[in-house]
Amino acid sequence: MVQNEQAAVLIPIQEKAGLGMTALDDFTPLVRSHQQRIYRVLLGMVRDSDAAETLTQECFLKAYQRRASFRGEASVGVWLLKIAVNLARDHRRSRLREFWHRLSSSFEDVADLEQRLPDTHASQERVLLGREEVATVWSAVEKLSSQQRAIFILRFVEEMSLEEIAEVTSLKLGTVKTHLFRAVHAVRQRLKGGRAGE
Amino acid sequence: MNNHLSEDQITEWMLGTRDDFVSRHLATCHACSVAVEKLRSTISCFRDSIHAAAQRDDSYWRKQQHAIREHASARDWYPLHWAWVVAVAMVLITAIFLTRTPNPPQNKATEDADKVLLQEVQRDLAREVPEALAPAVLIAEERNEILTNKDTQQTKSTLKKRREIK
Repeated sequence: MVQNEQAAVLIPIQEKAGLGMTALDDFTPLVRSHQQRIYRVLLGMVRDSDAAETLTQECFLKAYQRRASFRGEASVGVWLLKIAVNLARDHRRSRLREFWHRLSSSFEDVADLEQRLPDTHASQERVLLGREEVATVWSAVEKLSSQQRAIFILRFVEEMSLEEIAEVTSLKLGTVKTHLFRAVHAVRQRLKGGRAGE
Repeated sequence: MNNHLSEDQITEWMLGTRDDFVSRHLATCHACSVAVEKLRSTISCFRDSIHAAAQRDDSYWRKQQHAIREHASARDWYPLHWAWVVAVAMVLITAIFLTRTPNPPQNKATEDADKVLLQEVQRDLAREVPEALAPAVLIAEERNEILTNKDTQQTKSTLKKRREIK
């Protein structure tokens, strides 16, 4: 329902753009309703808040430029996530950029993410254990391919259905399931390895 | 024999695949249910960590909206900006082309001068005597003429004397 409403927001933008009217005013509410989710997915994929911020902006700029190509077949959210996932994949592919990012210490966010657990856990010991486990999951996710990482994040962070993930990644449902299976298996193996070492 | 769930069965369960056998096993096996619960809880902590890390105050999101808006409007002008650059470049190229067209007459004059010089050189080469020795040749010719005239006068006077003697 919400997705249909959002799609309805974009269609007038195209019409107005065709008429030469400003589409920018109508695009801003779209940014407002999706920016947090896009930023979160990108942060999970690139593990760098600066890069996630830049890529979020780039995602919306691309969406704005390509607004005429949006046909409303998928929801606006799926369409934006598709752009975001592709941007994150390209970003990861650029190893040189990643190297400079590491050097410029923006990668310090990585350690931060593990510390960002809400303090709702019962004991301090549980919090510490939780942080350690989250760090282990992060290191396992880091080693996944871009495709698998995106699928893992969309499933377990955004809690999207496999069908929606298939739409975002333009993969078949069976392929998504296989990637997810491998990703969870890799994370589990890592966790088991971590615990064995304790 | 190990009667616990396999890695694949636990992973499938985590993906949401519901199987009666696995469901029954989890209800009775404490070790497997703890393993599944532990994995679920760890992934849940992982999700919470990203959600917490992505939390920003309203001013951050407003600033981002503003930045996106500014960049988007700049990109709207981008193709027009390039059209201007191309137009100015075309005007400059035309102007340069037009200012260079009067040059051909100058080139023609240079070509004529070259032709004259070549002709002079060819004339010099065709001469029997070098130009510097031309006065000497003239003197020699005059001298020869004078000598020839003297000889003729002497011959005439000799012939006259002989006629007189006769």
